[in-house]
Amino acid sequence: MSLATAKSLNIADLHEGAAASDDFVISNDDMEKFAALSGDLNRLHTDEDFARARGFEGRVVYGGLVVAQLSRLIGMDLPGKNAIWNGLDLQFRSPLYVGQQANAELTVTHLSEATRSIELKIRVQTGDRLIASGTASVSIANAS
Amino acid sequence: MTSGLYDRLTPVFRDVLDIDDLVLTPELSARDVAEWDSLSHIRLVVAVEQELGIRFIAGDIDSLENVGEFVELAASKL
Repeated sequence: MSLATAKSLNIADLHEGAAASDDFVISNDDMEKFAALSGDLNRLHTDEDFARARGFEGRVVYGGLVVAQLSRLIGMDLPGKNAIWNGLDLQFRSPLYVGQQANAELTVTHLSEATRSIELKIRVQTGDRLIASGTASVSIANAS
Repeated sequence: MTSGLYDRLTPVFRDVLDIDDLVLTPELSARDVAEWDSLSHIRLVVAVEQELGIRFIAGDIDSLENVGEFVELAASKL
């Protein structure tokens, strides 16, 4: 992946209902790197036995790694390289587990020409199970 | 026509600017509210569009001096 692959959508290219989505899987390596980066060593994320003892099916993916997938979608796809991410309101609905395939989807729900900004609905799912949902606010800079 | 809009938009401004006791008056402007910066302004415009189901266009909002002008502009879109 490189910046050359990033889309460069302008406000005129977008409409309400426009969407972008991508499948992803969080790996053990991703978990270890995020633990080192964040300093969050909570055993729910790092200790399989501990997580199972708490009633989960295994180690729970860091919420920050789910947000990272949204960052990639916004910064690379919708709207891409001209994005300025202004806000995020996200609720985690159910756990995502390491190695489990999931899908993140963004849909434009409001387009403001006056402010050159969009509101995005967020849905992250694995199969039919909702992992996270919410909204993001993104401004679109003039293309450079 | 705009009097009811102040009641309707007060919770919008309070939520965006995160000021629970903000009193919306025609004279109020960004100069009076530290939290009302350029990013908050974008959020305010979008929130007002969503609350009222209206659309501002480019250039509409550039010369607004205060809440009174903002509300008048919003009313003209209804």
